[in-house]
Amino acid sequence: MRRFSLSWRAGLWALLLPYLLGTILLVALPALMSAGLAFTSYDALSPPVFVGFANFRLLLADPVVTTAFANSLFFVALAVPLRILGALALAMLLHRPRRGIGGYRAAVYVPTVIPDIAYALIWLWIFNPLFGPVNLVLSALGLPLPGWLAEEGTAKFPFVVMSLFQIGEGFVVLLAALRGLPREYFDAGAVDGAGRWTSFRYLTLPLLLPWLVLLTFRDVILSFQYTFTPSLVMTGGGPYYATMFLPLLIYEEAFDRFRFGPGSALMLLLFVLSAAIIGGIYLLFRRRGFLADA
Amino acid sequence: MRTRSVIGRRGLAVDGRGIVRSLLIAGLMLATTLPSARAQDGSGAVSFMFFGDPAELAAYQGLVSAFEAEHPAIDIELIHIPSLIDYQARLGADLAAGSQADVVLINYRRYAPLAARGVLEPLAPYLRSSRVISDVDFYSQAIDPFRWRGQLMCLPQNISSLVVYYNKDLFDAAGLDHPAEDWTWDEFLAAAQALTLDRDGDGITDQYGLGTDASLYRVAPFIWQNGGELVVTEANGTPLRLALDSRAARDAIEWFVALQTEHGVVPDALAEQAESSESRFIAGRTAMFLNSRRGVPTYRRIDRFDWDVAPLPRGEQAAGILHTDAYCMAAAAEDKDAAWTFIEFANSPQGQSIVARSGRTVPSLMEVAQSTAFLDPAAKPASSSVFLDTIPLLRAVPVTAAWVEVEELAGDELERAFYGVAPVDEVIEAMIVRTLPFFAEEGG
Repeated sequence: MRRFSLSWRAGLWALLLPYLLGTILLVALPALMSAGLAFTSYDALSPPVFVGFANFRLLLADPVVTTAFANSLFFVALAVPLRILGALALAMLLHRPRRGIGGYRAAVYVPTVIPDIAYALIWLWIFNPLFGPVNLVLSALGLPLPGWLAEEGTAKFPFVVMSLFQIGEGFVVLLAALRGLPREYFDAGAVDGAGRWTSFRYLTLPLLLPWLVLLTFRDVILSFQYTFTPSLVMTGGGPYYATMFLPLLIYEEAFDRFRFGPGSALMLLLFVLSAAIIGGIYLLFRRRGFLADA
Repeated sequence: MRTRSVIGRRGLAVDGRGIVRSLLIAGLMLATTLPSARAQDGSGAVSFMFFGDPAELAAYQGLVSAFEAEHPAIDIELIHIPSLIDYQARLGADLAAGSQADVVLINYRRYAPLAARGVLEPLAPYLRSSRVISDVDFYSQAIDPFRWRGQLMCLPQNISSLVVYYNKDLFDAAGLDHPAEDWTWDEFLAAAQALTLDRDGDGITDQYGLGTDASLYRVAPFIWQNGGELVVTEANGTPLRLALDSRAARDAIEWFVALQTEHGVVPDALAEQAESSESRFIAGRTAMFLNSRRGVPTYRRIDRFDWDVAPLPRGEQAAGILHTDAYCMAAAAEDKDAAWTFIEFANSPQGQSIVARSGRTVPSLMEVAQSTAFLDPAAKPASSSVFLDTIPLLRAVPVTAAWVEVEELAGDELERAFYGVAPVDEVIEAMIVRTLPFFAEEGG
């Protein structure tokens, strides 16, 4: 029987093809079309009318848009480092085989697979200012009781906290990365008298850095989108726009107000902002040479 | 009656059995598209989309069953969306995709953007040729707001005013008389204060006198009662801007805000976030709640206390605010005659009686509103006639393409005053300034 074989490169292309096609048809083309709509006035009912940069000028003059950008940046700046740190800490804690380790690892991953709306409703209860467990504990400890989602000053924090429990994917990636680190480096370190911290600081962390940077790229993109369901379900963007994040604003512009032009313009701005942040992180680490082998 | 089927992708693997299975599924999918094909032939398939709670769903299912029994050639597909926010989004997405339902139920504050964009079929020609109903059968207060630039665009199913739902047991326990037909703001506030209780003296209010949304739609009737106006208009009636900075409007807003900030008879932001006022009312922990007729099907399930409705308290003068939803036909409906037949039936005395018996609607047909289908002495609320008595006092908000956005922005600001975050004057100015562009759009 004649064996059918492909070259290695052709095989890779064959594996990639379905996803490449899917990405082009379902992501890239709609995104391009949407980018085009950003320069039009379009209500989904009449044909789009080209308006140049008018949508961008209007958006940038709108304080709600500015607030939404600030809110999204606040969330990303706080959530991304904490989520990466959390995933790293848990991966360090749970990467060595021991009795019952599978159960602990599963417990870390489970919150990631809870449906978004159910997850948001759970946290709506957890941060209920009068009946929620967070404030009941704070009350028992005699500590001040924040209004959480009911107050402008505290409304964003529950979003950050709830995101810290959905880090299963980063955790699994880092678990795999840790298990793949060359053993001999650590043996040599031990011979030289490196303690746990020194070993972590000078061996584990540099070796994991390409993974951590990769996860950071992914998490920045994810975090910009993450707030949509929680803000829609838990607060509707309030109180007074304190939880109006960009994805919710885009959704409201396009589907609530039929303003697909400004909605698309916001999407384009969000894309540019994400790309700029990722580009900045890439340049930061590339210049330091950490990504030479990545 | 039918609902859309969703066929999963399992079983589409391409082996011998898979191909047969795939062909079968393709056949089934083709079969599910047949009603549309029938519709193009004009032989009757109509999709009808609405939003509401399960009690409202049951009412419309009853309506559709009765319709299909009378018109077996027309198949109605019910599309039920539970919440208003999702309904708006679904409508927007459907319009963008060109796949909107043939008949949709829309509030009078929300149909104008669709009418302005020409996606609704004017109904006046159909109504003129109807042998079942005519426009004089409807309360004019209900039907007039659905005339867009002189054209009747939709047919209203209901006409409700904002009323005070009250817990009779709590009034009795407090030794208070039940609200009189002509009670005043002062009497209303006094009752709310007497009914706001901290039973265990721990500094936390256990029972509130009143529950209400802090929205422009809720405060509007009080502004009118105080002699104020919502908008400044041109001579031809075109609204130019919000008129909330007049003395009368400002005083009414200040009185409404003080219910929470000064008198504490309404839950503050924390308490409202912890549990909505409507939920507290249903649980028997809020004595009065402002709502339209919409709440009745849900409140009829309350068995722990007795409740009734009273008119809004009056200020300098009596005034109420219109709540009405209408059946609108999509201009792109494939079988317009079938769609009209359904709208006509739903708004016939028979159709409106079916929905009215569920408690959901105050019928817009005068004949049905005066009948036992609505004024059923065995069904709560006992004082349903309040809804009819207040019809002459009803006023509508401006019907403009951007009015809902005006309401949303104004509501965001009003909440700040209502929950004590910003002073009333600052909020009024913000409401006027922030909503100006939407009036400019209208004028331009």
